Amino acid sequence: MIAALTYVPRRNPMGRAGVLAASAYLGAFVAVAFGFSHPLVLASDAVAVVIAGLLSGTGRALAASARFAAWLAMLMVATNAIASQRGDSVLVRGPDVPVLGTVDVTAEALAEGGVLALRVAIVIAAFAVFTAAVDPDRVLRLMRPVARRSALTATLVVRLVPLAAADHARIRDAAALRGPAAAPVSRPSLVRRLVAGSLDRAVDAAAALELRGYAGTAPGRARRGPRSPVDAAFWLAAVAIWGLAAACVATGAATYESYPGIEPELEPLGLALVLALPALAAIPHLQGVSRR
Amino acid sequence: MHRVRMLAPALAVIVAAALGAGCGLGPGDSSEGEATLTVTRDYGSEKLLDVGRSDPPESETVMRMLDREADIETRYGGGFVQSIEGISGSTDGGRTHDWFFFVNGVESAIGAAETDVLGGDRIWWDHRDWTEAMRVPAVVGSWPEPFLQASAGSDRLPVRVVCAGPDAPCDAAEDALADAGVSAVVTDFVKEAEGTALRMIVGEWHDIRSDQAARLIARGPEASGVFAQAPSDEIELLDEQGQVVRGAQGLLAATRIGEEPPTWIATGTSPGGVLDAVSVLDSDELEDRYAFGISDGFAVPIPAEEPAP
Repeated sequence: MIAALTYVPRRNPMGRAGVLAASAYLGAFVAVAFGFSHPLVLASDAVAVVIAGLLSGTGRALAASARFAAWLAMLMVATNAIASQRGDSVLVRGPDVPVLGTVDVTAEALAEGGVLALRVAIVIAAFAVFTAAVDPDRVLRLMRPVARRSALTATLVVRLVPLAAADHARIRDAAALRGPAAAPVSRPSLVRRLVAGSLDRAVDAAAALELRGYAGTAPGRARRGPRSPVDAAFWLAAVAIWGLAAACVATGAATYESYPGIEPELEPLGLALVLALPALAAIPHLQGVSRR
Repeated sequence: MHRVRMLAPALAVIVAAALGAGCGLGPGDSSEGEATLTVTRDYGSEKLLDVGRSDPPESETVMRMLDREADIETRYGGGFVQSIEGISGSTDGGRTHDWFFFVNGVESAIGAAETDVLGGDRIWWDHRDWTEAMRVPAVVGSWPEPFLQASAGSDRLPVRVVCAGPDAPCDAAEDALADAGVSAVVTDFVKEAEGTALRMIVGEWHDIRSDQAARLIARGPEASGVFAQAPSDEIELLDEQGQVVRGAQGLLAATRIGEEPPTWIATGTSPGGVLDAVSVLDSDELEDRYAFGISDGFAVPIPAEEPAP
């Protein structure tokens, strides 16, 4: 999971895009996921994120997030089916369970669970693409003037967590290489050594930060990198998605109710959003293709 | 493949357990009769919704029926109704309002999602101030329920008119019950037999005040859910804030001791007051009201309002 989500510099449009443009572009898909419950809009949004991920060269991150989201989705659908006792179409009449009460399963509760699961899956996938395609150092540099301490903490975590994972692999290998006659190393013992090593490293990092004056005054404005020529297309796609989504919300062009009965309503503007999302997801990535 | 082999017996056990626990597919068989749903606010003073459903299926619950007929918002995983038709539970100026529901004139002790609806049931939701009385265990506004027991099938409880004093009010109560299709036994207050029954106590206040249900009413709304009190031989009607607003010559109210069936009380400070209280049973005003007082010869819904000057 860590390897799949690790940022790798890429030469494709997403790799060359500025942090703000890439954030606005991927954030638009997250906004649509939170702003709409209509299954068609969510499905189209999911397709758009997959297109964005594949064209960004982050297929492995998408696959890893899909595996995680699939389990989570099943859990959410099952939980909602059991916990929510709303909905007209009773599929299974369940027993009265202490604490939970009546456990009937309705088509509406399953549908609502599906909508929630799809929304979460889209958000997970969008963040996976973001993590794998956008340079975290540039993100943190951008955040520094706004939230210095949080940015510093995040920077340290970004570096120390992979180091701790590498330490764990090294200690485990060292334990295995002691030979078959050696007593097996228990998991608590492994964790104890790992924590001790991490604390040593944390003290070193703190001393280095102190020497570099991080406890002093706040740094000035972050250096802004050169504007990328591909940014415009990402901004354009982001603004188009945000604008179309806002228009749909304002006019109620794509509404959905699970309870008491499943009621999806899609007006022409909502249909336009459904059709536009995958196209707008692909457009910024076509810049390199035309040049080649 | 190995996992599938492991899963098959587990699934078989789950399905067998589910069938054994009375589970089934689909909404289930229907129960005969019409279930009604009423939504009111402020102790029944304003009706917002009044609908019925014929022959509700086995899976019908109070929550499903309400969800189908009204625009609702829920909390705590859908088990608690927070808002109906945009009117939501709230705390304002130290007074707390929320939605409560009664099934056949008895406040439900379990959630709407767990309460089944049967043909003949009267479901009544009311949005009220519960600062003075968190619990209103029984109300008179679903008359002729709970005495009719339209949804009880073969599990009907006996109905008793418990009579203290002159025969006329007791006969009037018995007639009112008979007109509603309820067969009741008239029994003397001092000779009442033991055993579970739906009781309507009829008599002057000083004659019946020794009864356990009457003692609850004497202690006020916090104990009985009835916005009246009778610290001595007088009956006082209270407003929503629990303040005495007028005296009364008669009272028709319902309360409940623990989990026992509800007890109705038709009483007064004089034989005339008792008769006036019983006569409310024949009135349409009874519908969707918590209780009634008789003041200056008029039936006054309670919680009462201050008399006009």
